[in-house]
Amino acid sequence: MSGSKGKLLIYGAGAIGRGYLPWIFPPEQYEYIYVEANRILRGLIQERGVFTTYMTTVDGRYLQRTMNVKSCLGPGQEVKWLGEVDAIITAVGPRNFSALRERLVGTRIPIVCCENDATLAEQMRNWTGNDNIVFAVPDVITSNTASKELLAKDPLAIITEHGSCFIDSAMTPHLPGECQYVDNRELARQWLAKLYVHNTPHCIAAYLGSLIGVQYLHQAMEHPGVVAVVEGSMNEMVAMLDTREEMSKSFLTFYRDKELARFSNPLLFDPIERVAREPFRKLEPRERLLGAAQLCLAAGVIPANTLVGIVAAFYFDSVNDPDAHIRYLRRSMSPEEFLRIVFKLNQSEALFILLVERWSEILKQLEELKVER
Amino acid sequence: MEVAISAAIGAGRELLDRFGEQLTTTSKESARDIVSDADFAAENCAIEIVRHHFPDARVLSEEKGETGNKDAQDYWIIDALDGSVNYIHQVPLFSVSVAHFRGGRVQAGSIYLPLADDVYYAAKGLGAFKNKRALRVREVPLEDSLFAASFSGKSFDPASRDLEFIAFGKVNDASCGCLRTGSAALNLAFLAEGRLNGCWGKATKHWDIAAGLLLAEEAGALVEATSATDNGTKLNYIAAPASNFRFLANQVRICF
Repeated sequence: MSGSKGKLLIYGAGAIGRGYLPWIFPPEQYEYIYVEANRILRGLIQERGVFTTYMTTVDGRYLQRTMNVKSCLGPGQEVKWLGEVDAIITAVGPRNFSALRERLVGTRIPIVCCENDATLAEQMRNWTGNDNIVFAVPDVITSNTASKELLAKDPLAIITEHGSCFIDSAMTPHLPGECQYVDNRELARQWLAKLYVHNTPHCIAAYLGSLIGVQYLHQAMEHPGVVAVVEGSMNEMVAMLDTREEMSKSFLTFYRDKELARFSNPLLFDPIERVAREPFRKLEPRERLLGAAQLCLAAGVIPANTLVGIVAAFYFDSVNDPDAHIRYLRRSMSPEEFLRIVFKLNQSEALFILLVERWSEILKQLEELKVER
Repeated sequence: MEVAISAAIGAGRELLDRFGEQLTTTSKESARDIVSDADFAAENCAIEIVRHHFPDARVLSEEKGETGNKDAQDYWIIDALDGSVNYIHQVPLFSVSVAHFRGGRVQAGSIYLPLADDVYYAAKGLGAFKNKRALRVREVPLEDSLFAASFSGKSFDPASRDLEFIAFGKVNDASCGCLRTGSAALNLAFLAEGRLNGCWGKATKHWDIAAGLLLAEEAGALVEATSATDNGTKLNYIAAPASNFRFLANQVRICF
């Protein structure tokens, strides 16, 4: 690390980039240069040059950190910085990740991928020939916004909870911070727990919340019917992971127990639209919904509640979402056609059969959730 | 768009049920212009689905012609089997095309490939999609591009047919190749998807390409379609990403 402060180039000035990273790579140690594709957000950061990130505490308060931004650039403008920064962190979302490929070819700077996809770091290594690229698991819920009161003080205000960030220990000399630097095995364990015990029920809570018409995740978690499904899905994931060698019951119990409280945190102001976004991505074969259900079935666990979440995801209806076209497919096809054509599920596989068999019953359950509200 | 998707899939189901069977066929304009009982079954199914949603719908379909309320401003164009010769010969390149028009302009359309079980769909201003994915044409250098052509029927303009083959050869030799897949709708779907980098056709029946031209346009292709007949039922068309459009137009307009 050169000089008294390191320089970080951060792709993505959203939830993780702005909300969380300043707490683990503090401004006393690092200068922040952002690359943000969203013109409006970028313009606001450029104009103000500073933002506030809040961290919730266990006793219901906010800690506050003010971040001066060295620069906020548009995609492609960061080239001149590539020779000067000490490390790069990506937090752009899996769908936007491949757009970084051409810009990072040839760079040998250490890169940390804080993305919700464990395969992306290796993909980037293959694309760029840079071996100094690692995966990280921020075990944290970060909103991409804040309450009205906090936004009134700072339109760039953003809220995170306190959480650990697990980073591949290869990054230790390059990017010291308030993280847990762990070996590959532990990183894989943390990722599995995050993907299935956190991400699966978390997005299910969001899809159910969308159905019942609430704006924030904690509001969805005030509904007993939603909590029952979310908790049920979480237990299914724990039961599935419990069959895996690398997982211990004590670890899974600890992980599960901390999750539900996090979803219900009323200080986070985490929008349903953020957690539920891009349902097609979350419904990918090896992802947190269909993929998780398949693993459950393979482990002998019937994912009854997860199936409810999957159907709720099919019915996610947000005109602003990049996957808004899911509604045209859902409305134009029978359940069998929808599963077969859109998700390429085989008609003879257990997940297909279960979903078709339970479809009407699940829809009835979802209707009842809406009414109960 | 939802009705177009439903109708295309419904028709496709009928085609799949009969694929590989011994079919009763009739030649229309030529030996290459064949209709089979699968065509009729698929077309009936598509029309039934449209009428289920819009009982009074005006429908133009290849085999039945115009049916329904002939004064309606909205109408549907259905080609329940594009690629009949392929279908009969069990070559797996055929498709179903359904398009919805309002005020003479296509508003929504769907193309279904029954054997691949893939549905392409588009609506004016909303974009083009294949299953869950948004589509965008692919701009590649000419020498890396792949094109596809649809020739006119043998009896359409026999004196000028050689010009089509010359155009085909020129496009073929300047690029990675030019295909003749036998399904214009499939060509346009593949163009929208980025598998092809340009396609064209002379005197192609408008029900073959109505949905496909919208799909290509919504996926970012430049599209040009002009009438090849007085009644407008056959069109000359060129569709390609901007990088290839001028080249293609220069080669093929000569045969229009």
